[in-house]
Amino acid sequence: MGVSAAHRRPASAEKARSEDRELLRRYHEGGDTSAREELIARHLPLVRSLARRYSGRGEALDDIEQVGAIGLIKAIDRFDLSREVSLATYATPNVVGEIKRHFRDKGWAIRVPRALQELNASMSGAIERLTGRLARSPSIAEIAEELKTTPEEVLEAMEVGSAYSTVSLSTGPSGEEELDPLETIGDEDAGFERSEDRVALEPALDRLPPREREILRMRFEEGLPQTQIAHAVGLSQMHVSRLIRKSLTAMRDELLRPSGEDRQAGSAG
Amino acid sequence: MSAQPELIDLDAPLAGDFLAVVRLIIGGIAERVDFAFEEIDDLQLAVERLLAEAGTEGTVHLRFEVRDEAIRAHVGPLDERAVAHALRDGDAPLGELTLGRILTTVVDSFGVEDAGKDQIVVRLDKRRGWA
Repeated sequence: MGVSAAHRRPASAEKARSEDRELLRRYHEGGDTSAREELIARHLPLVRSLARRYSGRGEALDDIEQVGAIGLIKAIDRFDLSREVSLATYATPNVVGEIKRHFRDKGWAIRVPRALQELNASMSGAIERLTGRLARSPSIAEIAEELKTTPEEVLEAMEVGSAYSTVSLSTGPSGEEELDPLETIGDEDAGFERSEDRVALEPALDRLPPREREILRMRFEEGLPQTQIAHAVGLSQMHVSRLIRKSLTAMRDELLRPSGEDRQAGSAG
Repeated sequence: MSAQPELIDLDAPLAGDFLAVVRLIIGGIAERVDFAFEEIDDLQLAVERLLAEAGTEGTVHLRFEVRDEAIRAHVGPLDERAVAHALRDGDAPLGELTLGRILTTVVDSFGVEDAGKDQIVVRLDKRRGWA
């Protein structure tokens, strides 16, 4: 599922605001999820504008925008139609709040020393070289030797990569930027049910980008090792590892995301 | 395998910020028995997915039994309702990605121990695959 190709039309601010309200009404009162998607698309430029203010702080702009988009979606879902305020005005503090919370939560990681970040960057190539040379996944000691450092630093650098460099799930196979499909899900999509006693991730799996879905299929259906998957999809093993973790986490988060309460609350009365 | 494993016990906060610390510790333990990069990644992923089911409040106990070529991790107590049923789905149909299927893929074996009071401890076994 992707965001519709709708863009803000060249109209006056008042007209845009009126269109927003109509879309909000369709979504909140009629449950029209396409209206919700259009609202998201119309206000992504606002998210990008706000995200740019927080660029240059050690986090990729794409990732900041993705976090900001979550704030936008929350604002759309929680918007109260009885309030005489524009969606842009209402969404701005939500978007900024979400971005600030993200930086606060990641605060420890952003202070990662540059040397570790550089070591992380060089690890991927080292693992590829060693995998080719040894015909197996290398040990940490072997990676450390290759990079002329200590095993402890390699382990730390692994965590820099896994915990800090958020791999965006929003990049489609063409490399084009789009909103994370997991964040554009309508609350009433068929087949999506939450289960408290069963951790079936399948519904969220369907919403992952094709590349990530294929990687998970190869790993957990075919049981292929990361090295083979990396070769098949043309990515490094570290990148495959990160995508697997991020995809599973995103799917889990999706299952835990409130589904419907917000929208119902927004339309009450 | 040596007869007597080395034991490492860890009580870790479930708050997300500490997950990286848990991963780092797992990496350090696995490095000592010369696990390959991918094997370490697998064990970290197994623990990470289990902890994802444990919520974000309180602490979780992790025990690592470290042998010459293998690590046995005990993770728990975890809420039985949230985890146990999912773990029994290791043979779920293809295309259905459950916690059980994930663990089946990334560790050599796993099991569930009753910890009482509707709680369980999950046992993960991971062996070094090379050398």
